[in-house]
Amino acid sequence: MKRILVDVNRCSGCRVCEMVCSFNHENAFGPSISRITVIKEDSYGLDLPIVCWHCNPCYAMESCPEEALERGKEGLVLANEEKCVGCEKCLETCTIGAIKLHPEENFPLICDQCNGKPLCVEKCPTKALTYRETEAQQPRSPSQVVKEALRRWRIIA
Amino acid sequence: MPEYCGYAGRVLRIDLESNQVKVQHTNKRLITEFLGGRGFNSKRLYDEVPKDADPLSPQNKLIFATGPLVGTAFPLGARFNVTAKSPLTRILGDSNAGGHFAAEMKFAGYDQLIIEGKSPKPVYIFIEDQEIQMKKAEHLAGKDVYETTETIKKDSGDRTVQVAAVGPAAENRVLYAGVFANLVRPAARTGIGTVMASKNLKAVAVKGTGSIRIAAPGKFWKIVEEIEEETYVHPQYWPRRTMGTTRIMMLADKLGILPTRHFTSATFQHASQVSGERLAREYNVKNRACFSCIVPCSRVYVIREGEYAGLHGEGPEYEALSSFTARVGNSNLDLALKAVDLANRLGLDAITTAECIAWSMELYEKGELTKKETDNLELKWGNSEAILALIQKIAYREGFGDLLADGVRRAAEKLGRGKEIAFHVKGLEIIQADPRGLKGYGLGYAVASRGADHLRSEPFVELSDDPKRGVEMFGVPEATLRLAHKGKGKLVRYFENWCAVIDSLEVCKNLAGNMELLPFDRAAEATEAVTGFHFTEDAMFEIGERIVDLERAYLVREGIRRRDDYLPARFLKEPLPNGLSKGEIFEIEPMLDEYYAEREWNLRTGIPKAEKLRKTGLGYVIEDLKRNGVKIK
Repeated sequence: MKRILVDVNRCSGCRVCEMVCSFNHENAFGPSISRITVIKEDSYGLDLPIVCWHCNPCYAMESCPEEALERGKEGLVLANEEKCVGCEKCLETCTIGAIKLHPEENFPLICDQCNGKPLCVEKCPTKALTYRETEAQQPRSPSQVVKEALRRWRIIA
Repeated sequence: MPEYCGYAGRVLRIDLESNQVKVQHTNKRLITEFLGGRGFNSKRLYDEVPKDADPLSPQNKLIFATGPLVGTAFPLGARFNVTAKSPLTRILGDSNAGGHFAAEMKFAGYDQLIIEGKSPKPVYIFIEDQEIQMKKAEHLAGKDVYETTETIKKDSGDRTVQVAAVGPAAENRVLYAGVFANLVRPAARTGIGTVMASKNLKAVAVKGTGSIRIAAPGKFWKIVEEIEEETYVHPQYWPRRTMGTTRIMMLADKLGILPTRHFTSATFQHASQVSGERLAREYNVKNRACFSCIVPCSRVYVIREGEYAGLHGEGPEYEALSSFTARVGNSNLDLALKAVDLANRLGLDAITTAECIAWSMELYEKGELTKKETDNLELKWGNSEAILALIQKIAYREGFGDLLADGVRRAAEKLGRGKEIAFHVKGLEIIQADPRGLKGYGLGYAVASRGADHLRSEPFVELSDDPKRGVEMFGVPEATLRLAHKGKGKLVRYFENWCAVIDSLEVCKNLAGNMELLPFDRAAEATEAVTGFHFTEDAMFEIGERIVDLERAYLVREGIRRRDDYLPARFLKEPLPNGLSKGEIFEIEPMLDEYYAEREWNLRTGIPKAEKLRKTGLGYVIEDLKRNGVKIK
């Protein structure tokens, strides 16, 4: 299936992705209502966007006691706002931490790939985000990605 | 609270003495008259910090503000101003920084943050949306900017908290310490970090979960797309992305305006060794950007071999790089990176630090300063050991560093030597461009409301050396010729107004200004689309004019007159010795005449005319100035 891929070398950490995502879905600008989140560590110069991979299987889905996470068409993991009780189980079980709760309405914010035209990808100023067909059913571990990048940049040995 | 678009809508006032917190709504009139950011802060400082207040007493206020475009997808960065009465210059103290702090302030719900009084014990402020806490900071005492930021993040258990902190230099009352966000993004100039530390305040940490709405999304996205289109094909796009402002090193060398060995030369024979080009080729590993900015001009460098192998960090920019290379005669790039890193960690203003070091080096080289006086340091041009030692000594006020820690003006006064080569205006040290080869910039240094500084005017069009632009913009061909004196009053007035607007919208001058992505008309359109308040091109210009006039009135109230709008004697009397601008001197008096006439300030005194203040909506200032003994006509 098509997924949003991240190139940690290219990401500048500008968070334009967070801004366009939140506006496109929630009609306001705010990281807390964005479905993509850039992890930033200033002391390493590191910026890494985290966004739902739509894993198969999805551990967050399996762990949800209310079955509020569902598999939509084209394999997307979707949140059913009616069923969700805001228990935050999915936040803990998602392997890359790609889910957060809407700060006021308390339902999980999960990337829906903007109906096949992800705006974060379109607007990314450095082309760190791409939208491509990929076979991998699970994402690479962010900590592994970070470690490799810091080694490549020779920031750590 | 009224619901605003663009603006967060709230002003937070914290009294550190009594631990009281007040929230007010952001005043509508303030918005239409002063826009935000720098405009808000200068107005607040004028109204609330009286004449003759001691900058390091609880009477001074420390004011943070950001602007209406910040915290949206507006693509030109996101900055914040920090303002207080300056302990270094004893006039308007103000500096701004990029990074991610400003946007977080907005998401937490605040346009402005006013910090008053002095805390009885060391604290840091922790803002989490509506919850404001004064947290104990004993464990942060003496910690550098990096350690402080990391400790606060650890204590909070949240890596996304944005921290603006001061380092040991501020705690030791070095008069030019900055407030540092994202470790390396300092609001560094004029010693506002020192004001922060004088309040027993080590840091301000912010976390916001709110969001910003905008008034006219259709118009907003249209403007965003226009800016994107222009940016990605702009001739400065790739040079900025590759080198940030360090690209200026070679440019300044070529033009013969690179302050070398304390302005004794205008070119540096080792410029290419310490250039942005070399950093890009051999050191940089990736780019970073400020919040919501589409030009990632910040670079992460890593030193791969040699004495400082393993040192890595973000930056530097031209000012700091040039500070610790050409200005002090150092050709070792690794050492310069180490010096910038050290100054950042200790929390110093790199420009002022380097001027103090370069000033003592010139005296030493001339034999007017001896080893006995410099703690046995050999202050020869480019002596790496001496440069690093002095940065450290300044930050801790040790030995000779104690003299330099008060800035170059006071150091020269105390030493009783080197007054004529103390390169400052109104007590603020001059930046890295020789005014003899850039007349508009030079006039800008002379009249800038925070002392010698280019960022109050940044009249970059004179670098074009294109007389057509001068005719087009000002009806004077010389206005945009860098070596000409004529027309510079018009030029500087126009660009001062523009900079005041950019600083109040809190976007980036490199993009909005130098890349010309946000002229007055587009600034008006964008602000209207975001906020829903009606703005026109003319109204924007007028807001800029109002801010500059009010800041001038603040300076006048503190005793500043025409005699203080000057440049140090070297620039007025000694022709540039070499380079493309060889033989140039700076003729200041006719330029000041032209500038004051443009501004409608009194030619003899430099005080704004009463009639002019009324015109810019500052009538109330007239009475206030009179009450404070200013003769205003």
